[in-house]
Amino acid sequence: MKALEKIIHNLDPKFEKGGKWEKMYPLYETLSTFLFTPKHVTKKGAHIRDGVDLKRTMFMVVLALIPCLLFGIYNTGHWHYEIQSYVNPEFEGYRDYLTGFGDKVIYGLMKVLPLVIVSYAAGLAVEFVFGFIKGHGLHEGFLVSGMLIPLTMPADVPLWMVAIATIFAVVIGKEVFGGTGMNILNVALTARAFLYFAYPTAMSGDKVWKSGTDDMLVQADNVMPDGASGATALGDLASFVGDSPVVAGKVMSSSDDLVAAFESAYDPIHAFIGMIPGSVGETSTLAALLGGAILIFTGVASWRIILSFFAGGMLFGLLMNGAGANAYMDVPGYYHLIIGGFAFGAVFMATDPVTAAQTSWGKIWYGLLGGALTVLIRVLNPAYPEGIMLAILFMNVMAPLIDHYVVQTNIKRRQKRFKTA
Amino acid sequence: MESTLDIFVKAIFSENMIFAYFLGMCSYLAVSKTVKTGLGLGVAVIFVLGVTIPINYLLENYVLKEGALEWLNPAYGVNGSSTINLSFLSFIMFIAVIASIVQLVEMLVEKFAPALYGALGIFLPLIAVNCSILGGALFMQDRQYSTMTDAVAFGLGSGIGWLIAIVFIAAIREKIRYSNVPPALRGLGITFIITGLMGIAFMSFMGIDY
Repeated sequence: MKALEKIIHNLDPKFEKGGKWEKMYPLYETLSTFLFTPKHVTKKGAHIRDGVDLKRTMFMVVLALIPCLLFGIYNTGHWHYEIQSYVNPEFEGYRDYLTGFGDKVIYGLMKVLPLVIVSYAAGLAVEFVFGFIKGHGLHEGFLVSGMLIPLTMPADVPLWMVAIATIFAVVIGKEVFGGTGMNILNVALTARAFLYFAYPTAMSGDKVWKSGTDDMLVQADNVMPDGASGATALGDLASFVGDSPVVAGKVMSSSDDLVAAFESAYDPIHAFIGMIPGSVGETSTLAALLGGAILIFTGVASWRIILSFFAGGMLFGLLMNGAGANAYMDVPGYYHLIIGGFAFGAVFMATDPVTAAQTSWGKIWYGLLGGALTVLIRVLNPAYPEGIMLAILFMNVMAPLIDHYVVQTNIKRRQKRFKTA
Repeated sequence: MESTLDIFVKAIFSENMIFAYFLGMCSYLAVSKTVKTGLGLGVAVIFVLGVTIPINYLLENYVLKEGALEWLNPAYGVNGSSTINLSFLSFIMFIAVIASIVQLVEMLVEKFAPALYGALGIFLPLIAVNCSILGGALFMQDRQYSTMTDAVAFGLGSGIGWLIAIVFIAAIREKIRYSNVPPALRGLGITFIITGLMGIAFMSFMGIDY
């Protein structure tokens, strides 16, 4: 190891100003600091609290995302075979969650890995271009965004869309503000929102959540077979406020007990583990919480935000239960925390240290309002069953204002103390 | 039929003057450098919208639109008043009302908040030509609100929506003051981009039925 470090540092002069490969400096700097700490480190002074630098912080988040990624791969495979089983009797047994483990993993890998590769390739290419123009190394921020973007997409989304969305998010969402640490909206969510509004058919509805639903429909002459459903739990819930409520593919009549039907179709334990259709990485609350535990333990993410986000969602869910104006509002409040991308968003998106509120009290307000807004959009806005994406984007916009008022309040309180003393 | 609450909340969020219609951009861009001045101008806009839209509503329904002058019955010596259509005058009437209310606001602000008056400068009288104010009056005319309460709700809601927009962007601009924005985009360029991105975030409220 020492020898390798020496070899690399001996290359330094070639890449520094005036050296032979001066132009390639960003590329060199990125790769060398990925392996080793920079040659020049601070020798003294009390301003360093921790030896972790940005690259390793970001890497911690990628590590914390691994449970979500692995579960997402398997889940993608499972729902593919589940939906295929309706036209292909061979896969009948695969409806059981654990049957056909190997097949499901392989299919999931074939679907999810290309998404990850395209997202990283597109994003890193843009980062390198900007790095060359501005003459700095690769900014580390994209390590995390590149992993978050594929996890927020439905598995069937075309790869070129992922590339476009990534490029849009990195350029307009981040680089125009000056790069990593300067953006106001979460980069991964900007990518998702871009696709959501630009290509809604690939990002919503009930044909995208289970990989291969389109193929299945072609084979079944465009009629959803009995018992099959491509909708997410949130999609079902959104249909409760419309004229023809649906639970897991079954059209319900107005006299049925919708809440009970929903509870039996989506068992809370299954939903918590993540055995429900949805975007690649968002379904498993368990995996997200595992990642959250890693992040809180290593001090990367703010526990204030995660905790208050869940509290806000829960409180607003209970408020909706209290209002109880329609069947959607009657669904127990805790469901909102375990279905859809709530936990994933709260743990990995809302805690983005750049776009979240920065002050302690600001973080609590940010989380509470974000959680409440998520449930509010889900329940009251049938157009967007997935509330979490827009709620976090809205809170990103609001975060600077929250911080501003927290700071002002603090200033006022201290002035008062100063006057009375 | 929309309820009054519906009109009010829609005007704040899903039909926000800035993010849905991009009206009133000039003062929104110019005065949003700090939260404090943004807030001051926002309150002035709420006041102006909240007062001018009801007044213009009365004008519209009792003077301008076809048949609005029906109350001038023959007893006053006017015949056929129900066929009079003065709507070609609406622009000039609305603007006259707006300009006079803005003058009033200016005098009030100068008297009671001289510091804010200095900070707002030319943009205070320029509220008179702020597109969102005339836009509000014309939306009111176009959407034919049925009662005075609806008109008041719409006016106040639009004003609050504008205030929210300007304080949000002001806080963001205070935050990005030290960001390394590419030189070509510094100032207004980046503000336009932020406004567009904020528009995405505000889309979360579109489609809500209250």
